[in-house]
Amino acid sequence: MIGVLITTHGNLGSELIKAAELIKGLLIDVLHVSVDQKSNVEEIKKEIGSAIKKLDKGRGVLILTDLFGGTPSNISLSFMKEEKVEVVTGVNLPMLLKLSEIKEGMSLRESACFIKEHGQKNIYVASELLSKKALG
Amino acid sequence: MIQDLNIELVRVDNRLVHGQILESWVPYVNAQCIVVVDDTIAGDVFNETVIRMAVPSKINLIINKVEDFAHNYVFARNSGKNTIVLFRSIKDACKAFDMGFHFDKLNIGNIHHDEFKVCCSPSVFLCDTEIDDLLKLLENAGVIVELKRVPREKAVNIKEALKNICQI
Repeated sequence: MIGVLITTHGNLGSELIKAAELIKGLLIDVLHVSVDQKSNVEEIKKEIGSAIKKLDKGRGVLILTDLFGGTPSNISLSFMKEEKVEVVTGVNLPMLLKLSEIKEGMSLRESACFIKEHGQKNIYVASELLSKKALG
Repeated sequence: MIQDLNIELVRVDNRLVHGQILESWVPYVNAQCIVVVDDTIAGDVFNETVIRMAVPSKINLIINKVEDFAHNYVFARNSGKNTIVLFRSIKDACKAFDMGFHFDKLNIGNIHHDEFKVCCSPSVFLCDTEIDDLLKLLENAGVIVELKRVPREKAVNIKEALKNICQI
C-alpha cells in the first residue's frame, strides 16, 4: 500500500477524511497534519516527517495538500523524494474517494497522476453539464 | 542601485511566501513584484525553485540575501512595480534597515518561538531580542509597526501588545 498524508490549512484535511469515511468507510493508511496560525514551521516539519515515516511501508507516501504555494504545500514539497514522497495539490473529496482504487502495480508517480486526474475530472459547472446532456 | 520598485508592503513572516501572501496581500496591494530577502533561501536551488513555482508567472520574483538586498535596493514609494518585501525574521528586517533599507512601516504576520516572552496576537510570539529590536525601530527610527496577518484584519498596535512588559 502507498501511504497517504493529507496536509491542509486548519481542519480541512481531517474533515475531508471524515466526509470520505462517511461515504466509503474507514480509510486505511491515511493520516492528516493540520497547519494553523499558531503552528511553528519547524514543528509542522517534524510532524510531517514522523507521519511520513509511519506511513511508508516501502512503496512511498503520497501527500495530498490543499493550496499550491500555501504553507502546508511548501513544507510538504520540502520532503519530495523520487519514488519516496510525491505531492499533489488541490485536494478534494473525489480524490479521497478514489484512493482505494490505487492498484498494487502502480508506482508512486502513477498513483499521484491517477489521483490528480480524478480530482480534476470531477469538477463540473452544472449548467454546462445539463446543456451537454440536453444536446445528447 | 535599482529604483523601479514602489514598495507597498514590508513584512516579517517566518513562512515567507505562502497562502496569506499570494491570496490576500498580492491582490490587496496589486503586487507586481515580490522580494524574498533571506540568507538561507537565496542561493539554495531547491528552496528557490519551490518559491518560484508558487509565485504566479506574471509577478516578478526577486530572491536576495539580506546584505545584497540592503546594498542594492532603496526603500521608495514612487512609480514602478508595486512590491512586497518579505523577511523571515525581525532580526533580518532590522539588519536590512541598519544597512540602509529604511522602511517607514513594518507589517508583522507570523513569528513563532518555542521560548517566546510575549504573545502579541494569535500568530506572533516574540522573544526578548525581538522585542528589543522592535523597540529600537519604534523609538529610534519612528517606524510604524503593525501586527496583521491579512489586509482585512484589524491591526494590533504593537505598543498596546507590549505595554505590559515594557515602557514605550
